[in-house]
Amino acid sequence: MLYMMVFSLFPMAWVVALSLFNYSPQRAGSGFLGLGGINPFIGLDNYINMFASNQPARVFRQSVLNTFLFTLLVLPLNLFITLPLAVLLESVHARIKGLFRAIYFLPVISSTVAVALIWGNLYNPKWGLINTAIKAIGLVPPKAWLSDPRAFVIGIPLAMIAVVIAYVWQDFGYNMVIFVAALQGIPQSIREAARVDGANAWQEFRHITLPLLRPTLLFVCVLTVISSFQTFVIFQQLTAGGPREQTTPLVMSIYLNAFRFQSMGWAAAISMVLFLIILLFTVIQFRFLRTDWEYS
Amino acid sequence: MKAKFVLWMTVVSLILMACAAPAQPASPAKPAAGEKVTLRLWSHNNPAFVQVNQVLVDAFMKENPDIEVKYEQFPYEQLIQTLQTSMPAKSEADVIEFFGTWTCGYARGGRLMEVPGDIMPLAQAQQLFFKAPLDGYNCDGKLYGFPNEFNLEYGAVLVNPEIFKKHNVPYPPQWKTFDDLIADAKKLTEADIAGTMTVAGYNYIGGDALGFAFLAGILQQGGNYFAADGKHFNFESPEAKKAAQLLVDMAQRDKVTDPILFPDEKAIESFFQGKTAILFRGPWAAASGLVDYPGFKFDYVNVPPYFGNKHIFAADSGWGKVVSINTKYPDAAWKLVQFFTTNQANAQTWNGATGTIPALKGIVDQPDEFLKKAPWVKPTFEILPGGTFIGNVGDRDQLWYQIMSKHLLDAIQGTTSLDDAIKAIHTEANAMVDAQK
Repeated sequence: MLYMMVFSLFPMAWVVALSLFNYSPQRAGSGFLGLGGINPFIGLDNYINMFASNQPARVFRQSVLNTFLFTLLVLPLNLFITLPLAVLLESVHARIKGLFRAIYFLPVISSTVAVALIWGNLYNPKWGLINTAIKAIGLVPPKAWLSDPRAFVIGIPLAMIAVVIAYVWQDFGYNMVIFVAALQGIPQSIREAARVDGANAWQEFRHITLPLLRPTLLFVCVLTVISSFQTFVIFQQLTAGGPREQTTPLVMSIYLNAFRFQSMGWAAAISMVLFLIILLFTVIQFRFLRTDWEYS
Repeated sequence: MKAKFVLWMTVVSLILMACAAPAQPASPAKPAAGEKVTLRLWSHNNPAFVQVNQVLVDAFMKENPDIEVKYEQFPYEQLIQTLQTSMPAKSEADVIEFFGTWTCGYARGGRLMEVPGDIMPLAQAQQLFFKAPLDGYNCDGKLYGFPNEFNLEYGAVLVNPEIFKKHNVPYPPQWKTFDDLIADAKKLTEADIAGTMTVAGYNYIGGDALGFAFLAGILQQGGNYFAADGKHFNFESPEAKKAAQLLVDMAQRDKVTDPILFPDEKAIESFFQGKTAILFRGPWAAASGLVDYPGFKFDYVNVPPYFGNKHIFAADSGWGKVVSINTKYPDAAWKLVQFFTTNQANAQTWNGATGTIPALKGIVDQPDEFLKKAPWVKPTFEILPGGTFIGNVGDRDQLWYQIMSKHLLDAIQGTTSLDDAIKAIHTEANAMVDAQK
């Protein structure tokens, strides 16, 4: 209880309090922990300013859009890769199943900085493997994957797509292992019954596997959405938020405002917005994907 | 029941935060006779800085056996974060290696100690130090520390002699005007069969570089980037538009660099890999590049002014030393600061080892000893008197990286018009000033 008070509850209360002050750690203030005086109470001004036309508000709104865009791209792409791959993996011989599972899981346990460096080199416009391969098959590669503000694919910044690919490559092994475990938990007798009734592989997947994976799907969706909303390192390493803030997510905006621009109160208000977004998405997903049954 | 308890504790915490006693600086302590004073010194962890700081700390302790100095270092970003978390907790070091442009923000916030009059009055410091670096520590006529470094991002460029020879361009460069530099840069630029630039003739793209070039361009035409009230900015003057136009033209009309293929974060690496012929950066970039590319052949040469024939430019202050308001031993702390900054022999050792431009006029007046350690710095000496401190610009990082460089780069890359970029810089910079009132 004491641990929770000190390390969880107090920081949470502190963020709420900070978001109501124009607080900068540069200034000593006049109250306990520096709240008050030259770190004045400003009520809801930080929240109201999110709709203003100044530069911090513009970057904040851009970072909200970027975070949603990133999550919207990552979630379906991740599920599209991991679920079929897990089903495929579950269908192969047990001896090679472990090997492939380990291979797919390796990027998950790799350092994100290392992953970003690898992908940064792959994307390099001059000597990167991707552009070299595109040229080799006679196509014209993008001028720069990570730094061209004018490059868009169906309205999505190319730099964002590049970060999404790198992120999904690193992350998909985690969800895949969860799906494999869930697939192993589906009773064999149900599958056999379906086959006896004449179901083919697709029908078995569509009407047996997928409905029984619903609780796992909820778990995976919630975790993926939360981790996508909180992604920071791969953005920082690959693009540093550029070009033109096209890849600045909310967490980077919080970090920059808190520690680079010393606007801790403003950063706290952005943190509250991020918290509310994650809360809202989690509640929605629980509502739509919850199940009221269990294996007996 | 538990939920109620937690809720109450939260409410009590918040009330305590709002109502508790004001923060007070620590009272100076007088050490008992024979008692050893222990000071803490913090700096960032650039290897060259750490090495020379340790040498000087050892020398200081030898000279002052009654004072022990515990020297701790942090990566740059972590130093900033540590300052911001330790200062409210009053657990920061007694003496801190501080960037001059940060000083007034912390000083006005009550985090730093003013230099006592008996240590050195402001007038005396103005005799000893160049104006630009000292003014970073001079807040509303009060001095809050001393600089070690004159931080320079304008006035000289790194040049690669191999690329000059390859294209039969005279070397060392014979530039009399800035147009001469651009003419050479055009000849030095290379592209592959597809027209993709492979060697940039002149790379001037950078988070610091664009802002400093822009301000120098304004000042050299006789303009001013501050409005009449001295607090707001004026970035919509004809001088500002002309300065920004020059930056846009170099990429779009003269094509001496490709701002997408030669971005800021790869600029130094690109130069030391032989992919850039002329690079606009401060002399620190040479020391930084030589760490990864020892023995690389380059020179550091002056560039002509953008406009007119006089080097007039705005400069940041640089690294120096300040004393925390919470130190228990101010006398010992100021002694340590002076040992590093106002003692000319020690300051020269520090600048030589770190490859930085001296803030002390005395070192530049007799530079032979210093230049043995950092010979490439020499061309900058003749332009130093033309530097003025950037002034009270509010949040320097926000103005440079989020406003000026961002919108100038947009115009240079062609994603926005020059007029829109100038308008955005003017509006956002002034909104920043208003928000900080």
